[in-house]
Amino acid sequence: MSDNPLIAVGGLTKHFGGLTAVEDLGLDLFPGEILALIGPNGAGKTTTFNLIAGVFAPSAGSIMFGGARIDGLPVHRIASLGLMRTFQHNMPFAGMSLTDNILVGCHTRCDSRPLDILLGRRRVRDQEAAARRRAAELISFLGLQDRIDDHVSTLSFGEGRLLELARALAGQPRVILLDEPAAGLTQPEMARLGAAIRDIAARGIAVLLIEHDMHFLFPLAHRIVVLNFGRKIAEGEPDGIARDPEVIEAYLGEAVGGMAARQGHA
Amino acid sequence: MRGVRSTLVWLAAIVAASALAFWLGGYATDVYRKMLIWVALALSYNFLFGIVGQVAFSHFAFAGVGAYGVVILAHKLGMPFGAALVLALALCALLAFIVALPSTRLEGFYLALATLAFSQLVIVVISEGGDLTGGTGGIANYRLPSVFGYAIRGPWYTVLLVLLVAFTLWTLRRLDYSAFGRACRAIRDNAVAAAAMGVDVRRVKVQAFTLTSTLAGLAGIAYAYIDNVINPPVFGLENIFLLLFMVIVGGSGSHVGAIVGAVFLYLAPFVLEPIVGHGFLLVFGVLVVLTILFRPSGLAGLLNRRTARGTT
Repeated sequence: MSDNPLIAVGGLTKHFGGLTAVEDLGLDLFPGEILALIGPNGAGKTTTFNLIAGVFAPSAGSIMFGGARIDGLPVHRIASLGLMRTFQHNMPFAGMSLTDNILVGCHTRCDSRPLDILLGRRRVRDQEAAARRRAAELISFLGLQDRIDDHVSTLSFGEGRLLELARALAGQPRVILLDEPAAGLTQPEMARLGAAIRDIAARGIAVLLIEHDMHFLFPLAHRIVVLNFGRKIAEGEPDGIARDPEVIEAYLGEAVGGMAARQGHA
Repeated sequence: MRGVRSTLVWLAAIVAASALAFWLGGYATDVYRKMLIWVALALSYNFLFGIVGQVAFSHFAFAGVGAYGVVILAHKLGMPFGAALVLALALCALLAFIVALPSTRLEGFYLALATLAFSQLVIVVISEGGDLTGGTGGIANYRLPSVFGYAIRGPWYTVLLVLLVAFTLWTLRRLDYSAFGRACRAIRDNAVAAAAMGVDVRRVKVQAFTLTSTLAGLAGIAYAYIDNVINPPVFGLENIFLLLFMVIVGGSGSHVGAIVGAVFLYLAPFVLEPIVGHGFLLVFGVLVVLTILFRPSGLAGLLNRRTARGTT
């Protein structure tokens, strides 16, 4: 991990009418780090994601990405700077093949100007070839080879989750936001996903994830930020978080906290 | 190898479709030519409706802008034909851009409403344009001028229409199988996810609308020299629904589907009308409902199943 955070959030606040979804939140995310956001439902985790990804503009505070402010920029601009995300619910492009879905993820790496395409410029062809190579690599990285030209409607739920991940990785992001990536997965699928996330971080990509499954999360995350009612109530390594009385009371509960702590030691 | 083979397929198709022009008689030529115009329009409308998922009702209005534009500029104002052609197309592109800019910003049916209003506006303008547009009677008594001493007449004009269809198909296919086309389909399927992948949704919508509307304008220009007559009803709202039917029955989102749908529904009345009279419209309506309910991939979907089974 380097010294400079890739994402630096400061004083982040979001009001929806009279409701404060996120309040004065600060967090840093470093290259190659796996940082988890946890907390009870309605704690502001997904809102935080949406603020960083540009779906909403913050009511106050700033979001820096690679040293430049990104708060207030539209979603597609933030994506093209190298910040990709997955969604809490699978959002495939349902009318397209698996490969084409992943190729959409390469959009920011391809010249999509109609005139350049019609003129058959060399750059367009080279980028297209590179995108197809990357898509093929990602498909084998996530073990989806057998489904290459299948319609996405035929994918299982778990395969759909992996597709979300592949699509987000296709654009070669520097930061990836994963919204409950393990939700609904079987144990073997979860193991596959965990290995993939470790591998992604090992390549230097910063990973920010929301997760409810603590068995999955505690051995995986480098650091955890706990939210409750829009405020950060704890931050630290999994071991410490699992023993934090405030976190246990607000979210983990005694039994899960104790279990997670044991797993953290293992 | 694949490149050579696909070039040969294109050439063979163009030659075959052109050869037909020299063999057909007077009435059949007229039917064939108008069918080619429908095919060109269905192809570009399919891109907008079936691939980008934008519901617009202005396709014939832009064909009208192209047709009236070129005829007024070349024959009423005496501009050189080449300049009139370019200017008429530029006018289509500019108007399409202006219509798309505010309406693609809004969600859902705003593009449909804006394009509906635009279509009505075009009809009013060409119907009330006085001497310049010829009013409700339209404009007649003009001819395609010779270009560099060559007069394109008879079957050679039909060949030109075949080339128009080929150019339209080539352009749209090339755009479809690219990052632009994938962005278009992504917007149709899930605009929120498309934006998260870095697709500038508004920009792509405006580009697609402008491009397809300009292609409609080009088809309109070609139409203007089939009978050397243009009048308002052709570019009105009635035809846009037939175009929509063609795309849906053929298989929304498929280029082959647009061609098959256009040929099928354009020729069907010639067979049906002697039997059921104007009842053929009812037949069309039932056909569209059945397609949407039971076979959303349309006639192209049937063809695909056939070939898929053939290869396994």
